[in-house]
Amino acid sequence: MRVRVVQKQPLGLVTAMVVLRAGETAAPAGCEGLAVLAGDALEGGTTRLSSVELARRLENIGASFGAATGWDSTTVAVSCLADNLVDALPLLAEMVRSPAFDQAEFDRYKAQRLATAAHRRMDPAAVAADFHARSIYGDGDTYARPLGGTEASLGALESDHARQYAAARYGPVQAAVVVVGDVESEEVRQLANREFGDWGEQSANPPEAVVAGREPGRSIHVVHRPGSVQSEIRVGHVGVSRFVEDYLPLTVVNLVLGGSFSSRLNLNLREHHGFTYGVRSTFAARRNRGPFMVSTAVGNSVTSAAVREIFREVEALSESGPTADEVQTATSYLAGVFPLRMESTGQVASRIAGLIVFGLPVDYYRDYRDRIREVTREQAAAAARCHIRPRELCTVVVGDADAVAPGLEDLKFGPVTIHDPQS
Amino acid sequence: MIEVEEHTLDNGLRLVMAPDLTTPVASVNLWYGVGSRNEAPGRTGFAHLFEHMMFQGSAHVPRNGHFQLIEEVGGSANATTWFDRTNYFETVPSHHLDLALWLESDRMGWMLPAMNGEKLENQRQVVMNERKERYDNQPYGDWDERIQALLFPETHPYHHSVIGTLEDIAAATLDDVRDFFSTYYLPNNAVLSICGDFDPEHARDRVEHYFGAIQPGPDPPPIPGIDRIPFSTGTTLREDVPGAVPLPRVYAAARVPPFTTDLFYPGDVVAHCLGTGRTSRLYDRLVRRRMAKSASCHLLPLTSGASLFLVIATGFPDTDVNDLETAVTTELDNAVTLTGEAVERAVTGAETRMLRVLQQVATRADLLSMYATHFGDAARLNDDLGRLRQVTLDEVRSWSRNHLNPGNRALVRYIPERSS
Repeated sequence: MRVRVVQKQPLGLVTAMVVLRAGETAAPAGCEGLAVLAGDALEGGTTRLSSVELARRLENIGASFGAATGWDSTTVAVSCLADNLVDALPLLAEMVRSPAFDQAEFDRYKAQRLATAAHRRMDPAAVAADFHARSIYGDGDTYARPLGGTEASLGALESDHARQYAAARYGPVQAAVVVVGDVESEEVRQLANREFGDWGEQSANPPEAVVAGREPGRSIHVVHRPGSVQSEIRVGHVGVSRFVEDYLPLTVVNLVLGGSFSSRLNLNLREHHGFTYGVRSTFAARRNRGPFMVSTAVGNSVTSAAVREIFREVEALSESGPTADEVQTATSYLAGVFPLRMESTGQVASRIAGLIVFGLPVDYYRDYRDRIREVTREQAAAAARCHIRPRELCTVVVGDADAVAPGLEDLKFGPVTIHDPQS
Repeated sequence: MIEVEEHTLDNGLRLVMAPDLTTPVASVNLWYGVGSRNEAPGRTGFAHLFEHMMFQGSAHVPRNGHFQLIEEVGGSANATTWFDRTNYFETVPSHHLDLALWLESDRMGWMLPAMNGEKLENQRQVVMNERKERYDNQPYGDWDERIQALLFPETHPYHHSVIGTLEDIAAATLDDVRDFFSTYYLPNNAVLSICGDFDPEHARDRVEHYFGAIQPGPDPPPIPGIDRIPFSTGTTLREDVPGAVPLPRVYAAARVPPFTTDLFYPGDVVAHCLGTGRTSRLYDRLVRRRMAKSASCHLLPLTSGASLFLVIATGFPDTDVNDLETAVTTELDNAVTLTGEAVERAVTGAETRMLRVLQQVATRADLLSMYATHFGDAARLNDDLGRLRQVTLDEVRSWSRNHLNPGNRALVRYIPERSS
């Protein structure tokens, strides 16, 4: 088990984080949502301590704790005063190594996740994101479904599933303990070694996500939401994996397109047209190809006009790339805000967790700002051309179909299909 | 302990500086003493709309130049409007501190020459979309509007929401922009805080240079309406909202002593005991027992006559909203039985969390502006945890008895309509 220690902070704080290569990607078929639910249930007590007792011990020393699960990892973290690390780290280790997965506790977290899934069905932004994923990925693709599973898949899960998942996936292989804060490196290593050094069970490398995609081609899906006062819009296609070689030039491209206030999309849709409160674009960083997505919410009467402007900006950037000035601004911005995103112990720990998950070198961030500044216009233009494919843009609109579908038909941006809200 | 240096310019602008060389960035933060509480009848939402106009350029800065110039040097900028204040902030690499100061000074002193009807129209549309996105098209989105209208009488400045109504946003004129600017955006109605890696002598010189020539104005007029208000609603006020929500949810609010009084501190301890962490009362008795999917408790740092104490509890799809309400109100009633152990744990947790938020230079600057604005003493931030530590169990219990009883309660209940 790797140990990473970063000495930081004048405020006497520390964050300790266990990074496990155990994400939703590794959830077996039919058990979607299991990794997320197992992560939640780590707070539900250990074989030695009840959930209540675990919380009491940690909160008596002022510690905050919790688990977070994504597609590629589960991280479990504790933040507290550095002086209390000696008490907090053993509890963190116990949570990860000896979870009880008590059935009643498991059922409680399961009920919470089921309620969250029910909530998502009525939240137009969540409906749009989930429907977009379903539309751009193939039926058997890992990323086609919501991260937290569906009501059907969650409903079938039992505590034994979590136990089996943890036995298979929680282990020292490809995992790490990350400690960031006002600590002595050697002391932390000894402490970590005492708590994790004998965690010997080898888990095999986790399975990777499947991405087959769909037949390329444009399409528009309207998810009918009668009476909706706005349209939630998502436009995009299957993007890139975090391992793509031109990840940094692509980061620059995304910033220019929709990654900052002064991006092309925001200046157009918000500041020029007043269509929206905000619009952004993202390339999700995952081990396999995550979605590329433009997202915004606009009024009914300007829905098709907004989609047209999104297409216009996406096409222009893909075709011609950013200007030299835009690349200069974007690289300066990314290099400048970098330290602002590394201020707290928790932020640094999360960044390092990302390096572990993507197998990036431990000193990746040492010269990150220099490498960002070295990105050229040509590299950015090539990345835009290669990774943004206007002919494959899939559009999802969650809104009142009666109000917005005719305008969307007129765009000729692919066949328009209207879907019932619950489908 | 944050070392704080405070000065007041001749034009009344208060300057707060807290250098800290840990990270090579500097944060500039401005609080103007104006928020939704200052809005005239028929102009709800205007303070926030005005905040948007502050990014539409000033005499020497082009439209959207503020964001562009800050982003070009690798900084971030934004602003927010709230009940009692409007804040503007940017964090930049240290050597660009002057740029941030100049940008803020240009709009504090010379905003109006750049205003026109087309910019107002554009931002009116943006803000109307903001309202639709966050309030009208969102399950539970309008909860704060409902809670405020229920808890505070029509005459009170907190009766209406910060976002305002679509009608009032539509009614705003360019003259309103001019009047609002001349009335509230004055150096003598603002606090400027600078935190991070900078030389205070240089910064003070630059602040004098950029802001010194801005003319002060008369003290802003009194807040419209009547802000003095008893910490009691007399009875339990309630509103039921049936509709398109997925899960039943109860918002329970109380009128409590404001941020600027000593009685705020026991309230803060009570809020932590009830709602923070996995050992809190609400988590223990509602979430652990599967009465609620989630539950939280908040005490807002408001200053105008009273503040707002709030519990939010969300049920499961099959939870009866009456049961959920009873579970919440039982815990409000039972706050009088909080124990010394719970108080000790709550204060210990609050201390660590405060250090955690102070890690971020922008948050440090914002908190210093807050204490300077509300207490005339930015360094009070340093004593605040001490004040929390001094709260006794008796104070916690009597605060709960006085303020969390059924005679001081407003309940907004969202009830899912069963369509299938």
